[in-house]
Amino acid sequence: MVSSSVCSLVLARALSRGGTFAEIFYEDSRKFSMTLRSGQIENAATSRPCGAGIRVYDGLRSIYVYTCDVSCEGLLRAADRAAAAVTDTPKTMDNIVLCDRPAANIHPIVTPVLSVPAGRRAEILRAVDGSARAVSNTITQVTAGLLSKEQHVLIANSEGLYTGDTRVYTRLTCSAVASDGTENQTGTNNPGAMMGFELFDSRVNPEEIGRSAAKSAVTMLDAPYCGAGEMPVVIAGGFGGVIFHEACGHSLEATSVEPGMSEFAGKLGQQIAASCVTAIDDGTMPNEWGSENIDDEGMPTTRLTLIENGVLKNYMVDRLNGLKMGMAPTGNGRRESYAYAPTSRMRNTFIAAGKDDEDEMIRTMGDGLYAVQMGGGSVNPATGEFNFAVQEGYLVRDGKIVSPVRGASLIGKGAQVLMRIDRVGKEMTMGQGMCGSLSGSVPVNVGQPTIRVSSLTVGGK
Amino acid sequence: MEYKAFVNRVFEAAEKAGIAPAEIAYSRGESFSVRVRQSKLQDYEVSEGISLTLRGVYGGRIGTSSTQAIDEESIDMLVQGVKESAALIETDEQDKILPPDPAYGEVKNYEPELENVTAQQKIDLAMKIDDLMQHQDARITPDDTVVSSAAETFCLMNTLGLNLEHRSNMIYAYTGALAKEGGKAATDNQIRWGYSLSAIDPEELAACCCKQTLEKLEAGNMSSGPVKVVIKNTAMADFLKTFCGVFSADNAQKGLSLLAGREGEKAASDVVTLTDDPLMAWGLGSCPFDREGAAAKTKNIIENGVLTTLLHNRKTAKKAGVETTGNAGGAGHVSPSNLFIVPGDRTLEELFAEMGDGLYLTEISGLHAGANPISGDFSLLSRGCEVKDGRIVRQVEQFTVSGNFYQLLKDIERVGADLKFEASSIGAPSVLAASLNVAGAQ
Repeated sequence: MVSSSVCSLVLARALSRGGTFAEIFYEDSRKFSMTLRSGQIENAATSRPCGAGIRVYDGLRSIYVYTCDVSCEGLLRAADRAAAAVTDTPKTMDNIVLCDRPAANIHPIVTPVLSVPAGRRAEILRAVDGSARAVSNTITQVTAGLLSKEQHVLIANSEGLYTGDTRVYTRLTCSAVASDGTENQTGTNNPGAMMGFELFDSRVNPEEIGRSAAKSAVTMLDAPYCGAGEMPVVIAGGFGGVIFHEACGHSLEATSVEPGMSEFAGKLGQQIAASCVTAIDDGTMPNEWGSENIDDEGMPTTRLTLIENGVLKNYMVDRLNGLKMGMAPTGNGRRESYAYAPTSRMRNTFIAAGKDDEDEMIRTMGDGLYAVQMGGGSVNPATGEFNFAVQEGYLVRDGKIVSPVRGASLIGKGAQVLMRIDRVGKEMTMGQGMCGSLSGSVPVNVGQPTIRVSSLTVGGK
Repeated sequence: MEYKAFVNRVFEAAEKAGIAPAEIAYSRGESFSVRVRQSKLQDYEVSEGISLTLRGVYGGRIGTSSTQAIDEESIDMLVQGVKESAALIETDEQDKILPPDPAYGEVKNYEPELENVTAQQKIDLAMKIDDLMQHQDARITPDDTVVSSAAETFCLMNTLGLNLEHRSNMIYAYTGALAKEGGKAATDNQIRWGYSLSAIDPEELAACCCKQTLEKLEAGNMSSGPVKVVIKNTAMADFLKTFCGVFSADNAQKGLSLLAGREGEKAASDVVTLTDDPLMAWGLGSCPFDREGAAAKTKNIIENGVLTTLLHNRKTAKKAGVETTGNAGGAGHVSPSNLFIVPGDRTLEELFAEMGDGLYLTEISGLHAGANPISGDFSLLSRGCEVKDGRIVRQVEQFTVSGNFYQLLKDIERVGADLKFEASSIGAPSVLAASLNVAGAQ
């Protein structure tokens, strides 16, 4: 770690040619990944991402310099490179006095993955493989992975902050391929948490993960193609929350709102969703995949109401965009690593539980699509246009599930879909994802209860 | 610690720990990037990053460990990491550690002059593009303009006498726009790249971006059904990027590609030749050697429609009883270098004329979600233009095109002359294809 006296020196150097704010983000992490494919461990590797990023505000512009040379000389050199880009005039400066503010840990870790004997780690993957292959002899390939990361960060800034955090992540990934010789279908299941190896004691059963991925692939192998058109769609909970993440969440990040590139810019206090919709972004949920103790700008993490009964309440705001917008930062400043300047990002983002009965939603929907498992998606925040893959979907006719269908995708515009949600179920569940944006790829949870959208464009064949 | 001294220390520690042979892959990258919006410099970013990976044989298996920190702690971590990794690995299907090949090709994708371009020159370029964007049309709000340059040195050295080094660099400019008119909104972004400042024409970039954004404002809907398509070069390259894994022998041997064992058979229509050329001058994916230190070579994957070879590393080649194609991509995987469909002689207008009525498919999005690289199936949110009697009659949006990549290769009827690499090592010309399914939003 970098001592507070070195940080003081480096921050002072970064501001030596002017500027209003300087920050150091130092990281020394350990990653472990292991992959099993064709029944054999084919990959196992440790790595050590390590480096520091120095940020200086020159008025409302951000100067960012990062380096892997984290010696005192290396950090001073990086600070000089940042200072060299400052256009402000130098001011006389008081010494920067750093005050150690350790973050309270609300995500206790029991067993670091790297402390578990290698053989036990391999057993987890074998359990996934075995249970997936047992589902059907059409399962021709299973890829299982175990990923763990311990991220040790230190954040110091010219306002006197000196703090640190350790984030421990563990994730199991499974992809099963079902094949009838001429066609392949895949099913996936990738659960994770801000936990150590105890993930497998309490939350995740490797056999169940393998089984569910394989079942999804086998079901889709026999499924006819989904027909295209406008129809009501029921979207199951868990990873189904990706619809909100993509179609709405990104447009509520200050990164899109501040420059006016979001369809929700300037709409605080307005009705942007059906009144049955309340949405939350919460970094405080203990041991969840998208949680933190502090964000990557050193702010304590928060629980933030985005939409309450359909009314837009808050944007997700980082420090720099907050300055530009005249709004307080909300603890959403995140980054993949020292190689990225932070910006506003989601954490655990979900539609809150509602009051509707899940069976009733399907019973009264008429003809439509029941999307049980969503794939990934993407969105254009300026126009709200989105596109999601439905990994596992079912055709509903006259309120009854008739058959699985494959190849479906959901397309539409975020603002439109939010207004068309007409049912919100009682139990909220979450799924894990890696979300990519300006500041790299960060772990996020998406979540929702089962919901119904009265009308949506389904792409198919 | 100096990098050379560190490398020597790691090799010594590995030898002492019984890891032999051992290999180090080292990359050092520098980058510079500025982002401008509304005549203001928003971000200024400078970086120098390194990554060092140790691989070595221990107990008959190859272990791998990597670090970004050049310090004492890393030496021990790398050696222990390789031992632990080697103990876990069960397959012997890994990149081998071998002495150098007798000869390597020459590659040029490094321009020393680019290193002399100053920060101010790059800022001026970004400002100029942003300024041009602001004065194109009242309906346009310019999004970010980014100018970025990067250089990378990659070294591969092992205890069997291999010692290779390759340096490359590039510069690119990117801009985007939002257009609004009467409740409709549309966006577009464009990227230009090369190896010198003069490779980027700010007037052309800004004019092109604004023109395309405004055109999209007028987009209407498509009706559903099968249509003939001309796929724009950049969209065709997007298809190739998404599905290039089907040409990997590693995927084929693991049951993840339907081209397994199909060498010598028809995989595409006669007009299609697909080439992987690591020695291409000024290619972003050019390098005289692959991640195993094997000499890189140029080959046709598909020649006049016939699958001639998959892409191999030494492991997959041995299994298939052939020579490596020099496509080892690290971690036992195979990856293409500069991959492209060889251009034909038709202009875009000639392709439209040959199609008559149909769709000019200009953009496909959501490829990580709506395309399955294993089955080849895709269903993608798209944009394009309706073509009637060989002429563009209107813009269309909010529809999906669906089909299957393997089938698409067979359905290509004509290949255009406009091969384009859009800031990528994977490129394509525009192509005319028999049929894709369209689902409109009506």
